Amino acid sequence: MQNFKEKLFNYETPPPEEIWHHIAGEINNENVVKMRGHKKNKFVFYTVAAAASVVIIFLGSVFLKKNSTPKYSYQNKLDQQNLLLAQETKDSVQLNQLILESIINNPKEKKEIVSQEPDDNIKSKTYLTVADPEGQPVKISPKVATLIISADNGYPPKPIWCKEIRRWQNIMLNSTISPTSANFADLVQLAANKQIMNKD
Amino acid sequence: MQRLLYERFASKMYGVCVRYAENTEDANDVMQEGFIKVYRNISKFRGEGSFEGWIRRIFIHTAIEHYRKKIKLFHVTEISENTIEDDRLNALDSLAAKDILKIVNELSPGYKAVFNMHVIEGYSHKEIAEILGITEGTSKSQLARAKAVLKKIIEVRSIKIN
Repeated sequence: MQNFKEKLFNYETPPPEEIWHHIAGEINNENVVKMRGHKKNKFVFYTVAAAASVVIIFLGSVFLKKNSTPKYSYQNKLDQQNLLLAQETKDSVQLNQLILESIINNPKEKKEIVSQEPDDNIKSKTYLTVADPEGQPVKISPKVATLIISADNGYPPKPIWCKEIRRWQNIMLNSTISPTSANFADLVQLAANKQIMNKD
Repeated sequence: MQRLLYERFASKMYGVCVRYAENTEDANDVMQEGFIKVYRNISKFRGEGSFEGWIRRIFIHTAIEHYRKKIKLFHVTEISENTIEDDRLNALDSLAAKDILKIVNELSPGYKAVFNMHVIEGYSHKEIAEILGITEGTSKSQLARAKAVLKKIIEVRSIKIN
């Protein structure tokens, strides 16, 4: 026989039927509310995330277009122009230098050029005949050629040469003959101008 | 699943509810609130101990919460619970559960809570003190007074029974 403690502990009595309806109703309401709230929250979250992504992408593209791309293209253009200019100058200088060096250093070629001067055999041995930029033949001494190379290379000529050139220029200025590209002083002047241009 | 769980434990838990409640309406409220808590917290059951024990504890705590405002326990002059002879209470053994319940339900909510928790559920005074927010001494004295009240009720009833 059970004592009163066990009787009370194990006491069972059926609850009214209405209790389950209340419980079920509350659970269903909770679920419905939770489901709706959850879906709404998710929808809002995804909408905000999508909108934020679109704005970020748009702003990013605008920023890149305004800043990076034009700068890049402009810089590229400048670089290309500078590169071409430098290449042209370099090629031109190198070509002139090569021609002059070959003339100066190659005695055979020197003789051939000299041999083109039939009138003055003695003088022709000490002077070189080269073509100026306009295609006119110009007589220059190997020393002047060296001076021109020096000017082309951007190295200052020796002081003694500067003094000499100045003297020649004075002579030419004081003379009644107009300087043309057919004389060496004009060539020196051209070389000096080129040197100034190269420095700029 | 919820319906099955309800059908499986409804009668037992309603028995717990009526032991702690003052009337049928309160018992129904505790019953409803208790099952909602079970459904909400069922994922927290870690499988330690019996599932029925876990549910029972939820219902007891729910009943205590429900009556917390009404349960006003004050520490009275220390009375050892042993001063009340359990032999008197053993007279209840001859009664049916329903009749015993009627007698216990005559106790005030405070006495009934301590009596149910200690004598029927087997909680220690320390556990009762923690759950109800009282001292162990208060729990002991309340139990002693609950037993004293029950003794008087039994004496009256026994006269009637006899």
